[in-house]
Order: sequence, then structure tokens, then C-alpha cells
Amino acid sequence: MDAFTLSEVLEDLAAAGDRFAQNELAPGARAAETGGAWPVRHDEVARGLGLCDLDVPESLGGAGAGALAKVVLLESLAHGDAGGLPALDQPGPTVGAVLACPDQPLAGRVAAGGRSGEAGAVLVVCDPETHGAPRLEWAPARPPCRWVWVTAGDGLALFDGPDELAPTQALAFAASGGVSSALEGCREVGRWELAPLSGHAVRARARLWAGAVALGIAQAALDATIAYTTERIVFGKPVAHHQGNAFELAALATAVHGARLALRDGACDLDAGAPAAPYWATQAAVFALDAAVATTDAGIQLLGGHGFLVDHLAEKRFREARMLGLLWGGRDAAVADLAAESLDVDEAVFVQGAHR
Amino acid sequence: MIPLDAPSRALVEEVRALGRQYMRPMGLESDRTGDPPPADHPFYLLCSRQGGLVSRTIDPEAAPDGAEVPQWQPFRAALIAEESAYWDRGVALSLPGPGLGGSALRSTATPEQSARFLAPFADHGRAHWAAMAMTEPGAGSDVARIQTRVRKEGREWVLSGSKMFCSNGARSDWVVVWATVDPALGRAGHRALVVEAGTPGFDLLKIEHKMGSRGYETASFALDDVRVPEENLLGGESFYESRQGFRGAMATFNLARPIHAAQGVGMGRAALDHALAFVRDEYPAHGRRRQRALERLADMRRELHTARLICLHAAWLARHGVTNALEASYAKLFAPPAVFRVVSAALDILGEAGVRNDALLEKLYRDVKILDIGEGTQQVQRVVVARQLFGFPRDA
Repeated sequence: MDAFTLSEVLEDLAAAGDRFAQNELAPGARAAETGGAWPVRHDEVARGLGLCDLDVPESLGGAGAGALAKVVLLESLAHGDAGGLPALDQPGPTVGAVLACPDQPLAGRVAAGGRSGEAGAVLVVCDPETHGAPRLEWAPARPPCRWVWVTAGDGLALFDGPDELAPTQALAFAASGGVSSALEGCREVGRWELAPLSGHAVRARARLWAGAVALGIAQAALDATIAYTTERIVFGKPVAHHQGNAFELAALATAVHGARLALRDGACDLDAGAPAAPYWATQAAVFALDAAVATTDAGIQLLGGHGFLVDHLAEKRFREARMLGLLWGGRDAAVADLAAESLDVDEAVFVQGAHR
Repeated sequence: MIPLDAPSRALVEEVRALGRQYMRPMGLESDRTGDPPPADHPFYLLCSRQGGLVSRTIDPEAAPDGAEVPQWQPFRAALIAEESAYWDRGVALSLPGPGLGGSALRSTATPEQSARFLAPFADHGRAHWAAMAMTEPGAGSDVARIQTRVRKEGREWVLSGSKMFCSNGARSDWVVVWATVDPALGRAGHRALVVEAGTPGFDLLKIEHKMGSRGYETASFALDDVRVPEENLLGGESFYESRQGFRGAMATFNLARPIHAAQGVGMGRAALDHALAFVRDEYPAHGRRRQRALERLADMRRELHTARLICLHAAWLARHGVTNALEASYAKLFAPPAVFRVVSAALDILGEAGVRNDALLEKLYRDVKILDIGEGTQQVQRVVVARQLFGFPRDA
């Protein structure tokens, strides 16, 4: 298996995810956002596809299928509707902390609580240089948040039980609900100093999650934009057939294609335990998030005033793509991690095949 | 995970050694003098004595003995293209071999024609080149507008017109010349003919002087009633009755585009390495300026990595016989401007030190621009992508 070929199993997984996304998630996306939750049946189907298990090791009760499988399924589902994914997918973005935690029995219990829907876990990324108290600015409201993983540099800590979770509306993902907390009154369960650069791996898994969801959103935005702009006539021809628009769509399609290749490559690196895997996973995520913001922006722009209305999903995707790039320290924290390693990652290993 | 077999890794290592010893110094010398290395340069003979190893892999369709080329080759060619262009893209393009002429043979020629015209490449006693001439002063990206005429007289074809931007054309044993039997027919009127060096009327006008990429010659020709035997029409007359001719040319480009784009990745990697070294050696150990440079380096790596994946994916599809017209255009659309940004960012990291001629970066900045023009401009690629994705009309 490699970034260019999916196994038959993963092709089947993607196809099943696509069918579910197009037949059920997409038609109900706006209703789910308004209602603040995916229908129970959607949760059940997504779980049945392995959403919460794929990248959890078998030793912790998961499917052990790896990051590539997770990236493939997330893209498929997000193409239909990403709104409920943060709430449903546990351990989801926190899987990096679960994998990195030296106390694996404890990490396994935390992950199991999330997968069963009883006790959710969130990841908070802190700047190691500011030493400020961690805050939870937004987390899905479900499952009820109990565990808080905090990553700063190569430090990892786990806290139990934020006292107060305030309902919090956010830019997007209303179908997952939303809470915030000053994280006062939490009990520190454990604190670990990971091996050098291992903290980046914790954050890279969360970013890869965001990148994969962003990719599905971007592809959906591109598909919808092309469908609309090839039908809508302006100045005597379809919107997409005006060269300025056609050129922009071509560039966006290229970026989405590149994002998919990069995310799958980064996931493969993580699955293989490649030394620089967190670096390339974060790079892929940043690329995908940028592509998603650009594509969803065009998704509104090329629809004109229609794109600004809630009659279309364009504005929902626009908000979701932007919000994904703000979570877990956001794009700036990702670039800070990358900058810290950019002098040391060996570009030439590619042609030498050292880690491939 | 990019699949990379041991022979490919070994080949890359070999090109790396050749690049370090020959290609980089030759490229710098050509840049200084403005002239490509002479055809009798010992490096070219060395390449030929190795069985045309390098040229065979850079141009995957150009086995010098005419043997069947392994399917792996397009993918490997992209790897080699990156590595050779890392050292000098101009010299990489000047390597002996059939070049785009070989690609045209592959897509249009009969087996007998391929055997005949590739035969000289089995001679490892001296370097051999071939070329393809499509572009004209009045027809670049829009190849349907070529005006060079060809007419049949008896058992000969007669060519009249002019060609330019013919890489390695002046040192080639033969050149595949694209001409039209009737400009009004557009692509349906195109014919590809092999014109051998020394044919009367086939006259070199000049070797162009360029801003960069000076390591290979870019020739302009006049064709003044050039007569070639009828058997030099690639594919034979029946080949063109079903419009296969133009499709053959496009198939050539679909294979060449990701490889061309991969050269850009190599050039970008060279710029990145210079910037990395400069930050390590010259920048303060801490502070805002260093942080800004590190973030620039992260951005450069991201652009290069994604460009490489897109190029290799397109080559990988070709290797597996999968239609790659869209993906080849993705590669050619994305990589050159991305690499341009990388080289420009590297210059920003060096600042004033980057402007000096003895720093490689200013040369790379001049060299890299042509990547976004040759083999179909970025704008042409956007048209191709738009056509495939949503039927962008030809006359829009």
C-alpha cells in the first residue's frame, strides 16, 4: 500500500463512505446543523464503518487499520457532511495523545470512554514558551467532555473533569454542539515528558484529522461549484466557461488533488513509523487546510449572491473549512512546529529511500 | 509511501555522482559563457559509453538499442529528472539521446521506422542526439496554428517554413518536424516527418541566447523546400486519416509533462539546500529574523513535497498504463509556479547575498522561469484541466 494505491479493502471502505455521505449525510446536513446533532442513525452507520476504531490499535480495542484508512473514511464522510464528525469521532483528533501516552492502560481507558460515548476527550495545544494556563475554547458538546489532553512542546498531560462546561456556539460544526471551559478544577491525572519531537506527533495526528475533513469539504465545495457554474449562464455562457473562472477552478482542483496525495502520503508515513512522519503529516494538513479555505471561498464567490444564502451548503463549508484551521493551536502553531524542524528534516532521504 | 525499488535508488545515486562531478560545473560554465557545452564534451561521451544510461532514463521512450522499455521507466524517469535538474537542468536537457524526437517515434512511428531511426543510438562510440520541432515564430502553445507546409511530390515530401525552440536540434542526427498539409484543416492536417541532419534546405538559423537554462542549445531552423523520402512520414499516411497524429503528439506530452515538472522539483530542492545552508551558517541563532526564515523554509518544503507527489503520481499512472492527461496537467500546472515561489523565497532568505553571480540562486531564478512555459504553459494546463473537469470549450 502506498500513497498512490489504496488496497481493495480501503477502496471498499471509501466507496461505502461515499454512498452513505451522498445518500444520507448530504441531504440531511442543513437539518443536522439546525437541530444541533446528526440523527442517531447517522451516528450508527458511521460507527459501523469503523469511524471511531480505524486508527486505534487493536491492543486498545480498536481496529488497528491505521491513519491512512482513517484519512480515507474522513474524506468520504466530510464530503457529505462534516458537521457531526467532531462529536462522533472519539478518540478522533486525540488519538495521537492516546498513542503517545506512556501509560497505555490509562490511555486505553480514556479512548474506550470516548468510543462508547460515555466520556469524551479533547486535545488542548499550548505554546511551550508562554507557560499560560490551558483553556478550552471550543469542544464538541458530545460525548460529555471528561478528559483533557494537554500538549506543549514534548510535554503531555492528562486532566480529569473540567468543572464547568459552558455551552458555546462557534463558527461552524453546530451539529456537534459546542462547549468551552477555563479548565479550572481539573485534576491532573498524569504528566509525561515525551521523547524529543514526540509532542509533534500528538499534534500531527489531530492536524491530519483536520486536514482529512477539510479535504472532504474542499472536494464537496469544488464539485458543487462546478455543478452550479456549468449550468448558470452569465453574459451568454456558463459561469465556468469564462476563462477567469475556469482558470481559478482548474487551480483549485489541482490543489485539492495535491492535498489528497499529501495527506495519504503523510498517513502512510505515520503508519510506517517513519522518523519524520509528524513533520510531513503536519505539512500535508496545512496544505489541505489552505486548499480548503481557498476552495470554499471560491465556492461562495462563484455562486455570487446565492453563495451567501443558507439555501446552499457553500456558506456552511466556508465556515467549516476556516474553523478547522483554527483548532488545536491553529495554522500558526502548526507552522511553528514545522519551522522548528525545517532545518533538520532531510529532503534527500526521498531519493535515497531511507525512510520510504 | 512512495515505492522506490533498489535499481531506481541506484540510478539516482549514479546521476547524483555524475551531477556533482560534471553537470553542476558544466552548467555554471555554460551560464558564464552563454554557450551550451560542446557536443564533443567528454561527459557526453561518458554517458554514451555507459550505454546511454542517463539519457535512457530521462527520456523513458528512448532506449538506444530500440529495446522494449520497462513499464517502470516513466516513474523512474521522473526521479532521475528531479535529481539531474538538481545539479543543472540545462545540462540535463542536453544529455545525449533521442529526446522528444524519441517520444514522437514512440507515439507515431511504425516499428520499422523506430528501428531505423534509433539505430544510431546503439553506437556508443560517440554521443548522438535527436530532437522534435513543433514551435514556430507564430505558433507556440496553440500548436494547431503551425504554418510550416508539407506537400507530396512523387515519392518525396517537401517541407517549407521555419521552426524555433528546438532543444538540441543543431547537434541532432535527425529532427521530427511537425508540419501541415493545409493550415485550414487544423490538427487534422498535421504530419510528423523525420528530417535528417545535412538534408539540403534544412538550415540552422541560430542558437538562441537565453536568460537562463543555458546548458542546452535552443535552435531555430529554416526549411526551404526540404525534400525527405516518403518513408520518413512517421506512421505512414494511413496513420493520419483517423486523426491519430495529433493524439499521438498529445500522448507524448502527457508523458513528458510530469517529467518536465519533476525537473522543477529538483531545481527547487537545489534552492532549498542553499537556503538551508545559509540559515545554518549565517543567521543569528535566535530572534525574529531566524524564525521568519524557518517558517519560509517550512513553506518551501511543503510546496516542493506536494509538487513531487503530484509529479510522481502522474508518472506512476503512466507507468501502469493509466490515462494521465488530467494528472499530467496537474503536475505541470502546479510544480513550475510552486518552484518559482521556492526559488524566490530562497533568494529572500539570502537577501543581498542572493544577487551575486557566484551564488547559485540568482542563476536558478533565471533558469526556473522557462519551466512554466515549455511543454505547455501554466495557462495551457489550466485550459486542459478545465476541459477535462467541466468541458471548457475550445473557443471560449
